Amino acid sequence: MTTTEKPDYKVIGTRPIRPDGVEKVTGKALYGADIHLPDLVHGAVLRSPHAHARIVSIDTSAAEAMPGVLAVVTHTDLPVVSDKMVDMGEGISTASDMSKNVLAADKALYRGHAIAGVAATNVHDALTAIEAIKVEYEVLPPVLNVQDAMREDAPLLDESRHTKTPAGELSDNASNVAAHNRFEGGDLEAAYAEADIVVEREFDTKMVHQGYIEPHNGTANWNSDGTLTVWTSTQGAFAVRSALSELLQLPVSRVRVIPMEIGGGFGGKIGLYLEPVAALLSRKCGRPVQLTMDRTDVFQATGPTSGGHMKGKLAVKDGKITAAEVSLAFEAGAFPGSPVMAGAMCMLSPYEVENFKVDAYDVVVNKPKVAAYRAPGAPNASFCVEQLIDELARETGADPLQFRLDNSAREGSRMITGVAHPRIGHEETVEAAAASDHYQSPIEGPNRGRGVASGFWFNAGMQSSVIASVNPDGTVNLIEGSTDIGGTRASLAMQLAETLGIEYDSIRPTVADTDAVGHNDVTGGSRTTYASGQAVYEAGLDVQQQLVARAAQLWECEAEDIEYVDGGLRHTSDSEKTMTFAEIAGKQMETGGPIQGRGTVMARTPGAAYGVHVVDVEVDPDTGKVDILRYTIAQDVGTAVHPAYVEGQMQGGVVQGIGWALNEEYYYGEDGRMENASFLDYRMPTSLDLPMIDTIIVEVPNPGHPFGVRGVGEVPIVPPLAAIANAVHDATGHRFTELPISPRQVVEELHNLQ
Amino acid sequence: MATVLIPSPLRSLCAGAAILEVAGATLGEILRAVDVRCPGFYERAVDEGRLRPELSVALNGHAFRYGLTEPIAPNDEVTIVPAIGGG
Repeated sequence: MTTTEKPDYKVIGTRPIRPDGVEKVTGKALYGADIHLPDLVHGAVLRSPHAHARIVSIDTSAAEAMPGVLAVVTHTDLPVVSDKMVDMGEGISTASDMSKNVLAADKALYRGHAIAGVAATNVHDALTAIEAIKVEYEVLPPVLNVQDAMREDAPLLDESRHTKTPAGELSDNASNVAAHNRFEGGDLEAAYAEADIVVEREFDTKMVHQGYIEPHNGTANWNSDGTLTVWTSTQGAFAVRSALSELLQLPVSRVRVIPMEIGGGFGGKIGLYLEPVAALLSRKCGRPVQLTMDRTDVFQATGPTSGGHMKGKLAVKDGKITAAEVSLAFEAGAFPGSPVMAGAMCMLSPYEVENFKVDAYDVVVNKPKVAAYRAPGAPNASFCVEQLIDELARETGADPLQFRLDNSAREGSRMITGVAHPRIGHEETVEAAAASDHYQSPIEGPNRGRGVASGFWFNAGMQSSVIASVNPDGTVNLIEGSTDIGGTRASLAMQLAETLGIEYDSIRPTVADTDAVGHNDVTGGSRTTYASGQAVYEAGLDVQQQLVARAAQLWECEAEDIEYVDGGLRHTSDSEKTMTFAEIAGKQMETGGPIQGRGTVMARTPGAAYGVHVVDVEVDPDTGKVDILRYTIAQDVGTAVHPAYVEGQMQGGVVQGIGWALNEEYYYGEDGRMENASFLDYRMPTSLDLPMIDTIIVEVPNPGHPFGVRGVGEVPIVPPLAAIANAVHDATGHRFTELPISPRQVVEELHNLQ
Repeated sequence: MATVLIPSPLRSLCAGAAILEVAGATLGEILRAVDVRCPGFYERAVDEGRLRPELSVALNGHAFRYGLTEPIAPNDEVTIVPAIGGG
């Protein structure tokens, strides 16, 4: 479904093979753990067995004396850093918190918190040596959820932390609440007083992990000239460079980060864990050091996303949502920085709501510091709001999609921040879902139900740089610096091919390291196809301009007399004078030398994304198992550059959302130990659990991009949690307000066994 | 005059005002002009010559970490919003 007449694109909208496909399916692509350097040694990390403990002392002498051991490092090997805020492109942390997360300082704040690193001639010696490190702990009671953490008598993770209040002041008393923010507008009390119906509920979600298939890794070589080279699996090589520069107090010019192929990230591969430790070990032993994680480390010691507690109260009058009061408290993990503000700003953005109060609490708990995860914060918050909206629709007797349409935000509607929406596509997306074969088909049979939900994500712009070098055979090398997680080599090459009017196969994209291309912000925020695509477009125009100048030289005319059309040049008044792209590319040497286009952008107009999901479920009342019978997602993607990859992003987000809704959770014992830190026990959906996810691509072009592109990767994970809960309610008559909606919870609820 | 929407956490500095009309040719001048009427506002928004890392500015609906020299037209709408990141 396209809302405007689409330009006659030749490459955009096609489905070519990805340039990196062959290497990946034949096992030849190089990932971080594939790096083998001369004199490479291996390391291991000692991790805290306690969720909360004061570190009284660390004695590394026995480990240092063991055969094969080359170096041992602890937090004392890290430079002292300030409380300066560091923007990793996925959220803000202070340098000192990042440093304490890399290697624990005075306290271990979660089970798995890194305490020390060892480098040895082989990984077995390193693993043996970490056992010989003696750590004296004073074990403290852990705080494992936001409600416990927010109590006045809660054990404090950091006795010096006070709550930053909405007015920007610090609270008098120390607290685990790192920040409290509030958005307010309208007259809430009057709206409730005049409402036809008011619904109010509390909701709980659990910490979940992105579940990328490739564990974290980091290889570092601290050269004798004081420069540092790091090979790693990351969503942002430049973000890693900035953070290493800050943590190790090195100028950025002395740090080179080489991004390897990435086996998934979803936001979880932006922060640093192993790279600084490998760097310190390399500096100490004078050899390159490689560190890798196993799956248990990934679960316990990287960045999942927040669980939390939410309260919502919504009102309706004459079919319009007139009031919303929502309180969100999200787990930040061991250090501040949960995505609660993003959740707060997203959850009501599909709608026009005049009267509101939204409180957002960022709460530290004894769990790993959270990281970004696909539209961070929005799925949890929407789990609360979209269920209340479902309830309002039911109470008023309205069709749930029509209710959403009647209350939809549109261009000019204001979000709770006061910002007016530019051109958005929520209404078109609701209409597409309502018109789908799925929604038009009845759902029949016992214990079956249908649910819907809307979702919003801002999308990001930020900085991108690319270089387009024209080869004499008419092909173009595209040098970019954005990690390719979801097919962006292809989507960027397609945009360059479209700009230049040449074949997709003529573009050879390469993801370069931090010494080889200008700054690129992270592949995150659904920004790469949009923002790097904009840089690619500019580079293409730059190439066009240079080609025209070369043709003017050859034809002995003015550049203004030449047009660049359909991948070639022609003289505007002499039809005999034409040249193809390949012909002029072959004349570079005799017309002035190499032609290289450049594109650099600070992309400012990303264009928000909306998705509307429809799901049918069947609930087994005896086992509590919820089966997904049918799932349809309609999403505004602006312009689908590569529709197959767009559909893949939509389907992938839904699958992760289904896992979050039905099975996934960090399951903790009272001692703060995660008891399901393996894929055997942390139950992610497989193909056997899922039907085909049907996709409806809605194209409301983003006026802020030359091809109308909007980011597509994140918003598809926003609605599934609530859509499935709404479907389970439709099937059973029971409202599930806690995730996951696991067989155990369903049986307990349906049979009143709680 | 540009329209500045004051975010609810900062309205206490502005006697509860949600919207101000101020003159200025750049974002920095706009924030200074707001500070004249809401003392302390500039310091809450700016640190070391740039927007605080936790903040962003929406200019006519598009949130971005604009520099203080960003040109502002007379009818522009400026909103201070929290910065967010994605996955």
